Amino acid sequence: MNSPPSTKSKKANSGWHRRHDLPWLVIFVIPAFIIVVAVQFYPLAYSAFLSVQDWVLTESQVPKGFVGLDNFAKELSDHIFWRAVRNSIWITGGALILEMFLGVCLAYLTMGSSWRMRAIRTLLILPMVIAPVAAGTLWRILLNSRAGLVNHVLDMIGIKGPEWLATADGAIVSVIMLDTWQWTPFVLLVVGAAIASIPADLLEVAAIDGASRWKTFLHIELPLLMPLLLLTLVFRMLESLLSLDSIYSLTFGGPGYSTYTLTYYIYTLGLRSFNFGAAAASSWIFMLFASFSIGLVFWFQRKDW
Amino acid sequence: MKKLLLVTLVLLLALPFTALAQDQPHAGVEIVTNFMESGTYDIGAEQLEPGFEEMTGIELEIVASPFVVLVQNNITDLSTGTGEFDVISGDFWIGSVWNQMHPLDELMERDMWEPNIIPGLMLPGPSGYFDGKRIGIPYSADAYGLIYRTDIFEEAGISADWETWDEFFVALDALDAHLEGTDISPNVFAFGAYEQTPAIFLGMYDGYLVDSEGNYALDHDKAVAALNQMKSLLDYNPEGATGLSIDEANSVFLTGKAATMICWVSFVRADAQNPDASLVVDNWATAPFPGPGFPFLSAWNMFISGLSENPDAAWEWVKHYINEDEAKRRFVELGVGSPFLSTYEDPELIEQYSHDFPNMVHNLNRAESVPWIFAAFEIFFRHMGEFVIDAVDVETMLANTLADWSELEVPEGLVQSAAAQGQMQEG
Repeated sequence: MNSPPSTKSKKANSGWHRRHDLPWLVIFVIPAFIIVVAVQFYPLAYSAFLSVQDWVLTESQVPKGFVGLDNFAKELSDHIFWRAVRNSIWITGGALILEMFLGVCLAYLTMGSSWRMRAIRTLLILPMVIAPVAAGTLWRILLNSRAGLVNHVLDMIGIKGPEWLATADGAIVSVIMLDTWQWTPFVLLVVGAAIASIPADLLEVAAIDGASRWKTFLHIELPLLMPLLLLTLVFRMLESLLSLDSIYSLTFGGPGYSTYTLTYYIYTLGLRSFNFGAAAASSWIFMLFASFSIGLVFWFQRKDW
Repeated sequence: MKKLLLVTLVLLLALPFTALAQDQPHAGVEIVTNFMESGTYDIGAEQLEPGFEEMTGIELEIVASPFVVLVQNNITDLSTGTGEFDVISGDFWIGSVWNQMHPLDELMERDMWEPNIIPGLMLPGPSGYFDGKRIGIPYSADAYGLIYRTDIFEEAGISADWETWDEFFVALDALDAHLEGTDISPNVFAFGAYEQTPAIFLGMYDGYLVDSEGNYALDHDKAVAALNQMKSLLDYNPEGATGLSIDEANSVFLTGKAATMICWVSFVRADAQNPDASLVVDNWATAPFPGPGFPFLSAWNMFISGLSENPDAAWEWVKHYINEDEAKRRFVELGVGSPFLSTYEDPELIEQYSHDFPNMVHNLNRAESVPWIFAAFEIFFRHMGEFVIDAVDVETMLANTLADWSELEVPEGLVQSAAAQGQMQEG
């Protein structure tokens, strides 16, 4: 029987290992480190550089010079920028509330492993696999006020359908509907998996103690689901804020500036007007806005539910 | 002796190749040309590619992209000095890089190449010009138009001979009275395609687009009058017109539910005469586009990039693509509006398009391009969209537009284009 190694020899061994492994660690880590820096930090640093430069590509091939925080100040005083912020908050906020609520409801309604439930779940997740630009076009046809299916169905039940895409409010609601239709299945999938992982004995104990179904959900299941729900919320919030293609094909940001979101605004500044300085500054403001929102969600996550 | 015979034989064999080399001075040269991916211009180019390559020995690469991508590609290619494209498709949208284009006057003079293009289209504006030199040649031409139902006009005793929008509105009033109780509207326009609304404004507005200092501007009073008149057109449109896309508006006309339509005629010409797609076959015609403004022109030009390493080979392609026979073929087979006068003087076509040609040529001759870069256009049509849906009044719309325009610089090429077309403020 071997005697256990002394603490001293353990330390010596570990030191030897560290010295021996260090070059290998460096060799293996450095390429990954360089790739991460190149792919992630260089563009960030470059966009930070651009955000303090006066550079419109159609006016000059190179940045015209350092302008300090002028680009940020201009953007923050631009009425279209604030319109885009408001639109983003409305669209993302509205879509998130609906998606989270419907996603959780559908997850509970489609629980189980019978073939019927599996088939229903498969059908429900279909919208998620459609390309956003195609989904936007599809909904543009559905919401057509003259020949669209939505107004036709409303008409059949005696309701006069609104001009979905021709009014500011109608267009915002249309974008929210599209986002909800396409991405509720994501919430359904994640929450469905989370529900399935809740230990059955916990629910059994609650039932034995006489807890109602609602109380079991509120005091046992919801707290257990909460971390995942918040994570899903973060994912969906980011996706919705960054969404461009579906809005482009559904409303083209209009009518007027009605569905002009922050992402749309930045896209237009950068790739249609080629104002790289202003686009970079707006992107940083957007990033701060998104980071703040995500931070808020994580702060909620720290709470003891 | 044997050697001499051998050398003579080799020389004789090589002779045809020498001649071929003289016929093909650019053999082996590779050039890249771009087009909008539309199933028309690009397809027309693909159809010509094999013959061109065989005839010239030039290796041609055709890059087709959607409109927005094409504009982005052209501007970034020239602004950054990349020089990927030798022959560039564009018009005023790429006015910011017109200073980077190869002048074409010398090439045209050298080859004594004078295409029989509609005179108005060869002027600065429809044609790309920079510093007084030609840099672009139009290979397509389409003007915003007005089409009408000949049968309804006949029934109502109205003639489509208006010259101004005021006169057109008189006709609309008469149509309104005549069509009362039917589901046919006097007019239809794709108000829901927000980027199309400036075309009506430009037809109703006869003020300047660039002020005397070279900034984007509008004559306030004339702009207010034109904007209000444009909006009053909604009274003659079907319910929900502010949501109509181009296809949807076309469909309203093709299904016989509108007596007139303001549109790109090329988008609807083929379908209107197709019994499978139209209920108005042989019952429509093109009318004069009313003034005092102008019909908005879409005239794709071919430019040779100033960064091209093979401008002569690129020029061969320009001449090959822009020719009368091909323009006629593209018009007949692909519906591309021809810039050549001969297309509209072709007896066979005149007979076939008697309802369309006379006023189409009339409209093309009056048509003008605008000095707007993408950003200027976007600002204008979005604020106009706000006005159309009643989100703002006309004064706010104009004030917002001018405020946003004040951040933009008008490229020199477009200032010159505005001046040449009489769109610049005097003084």
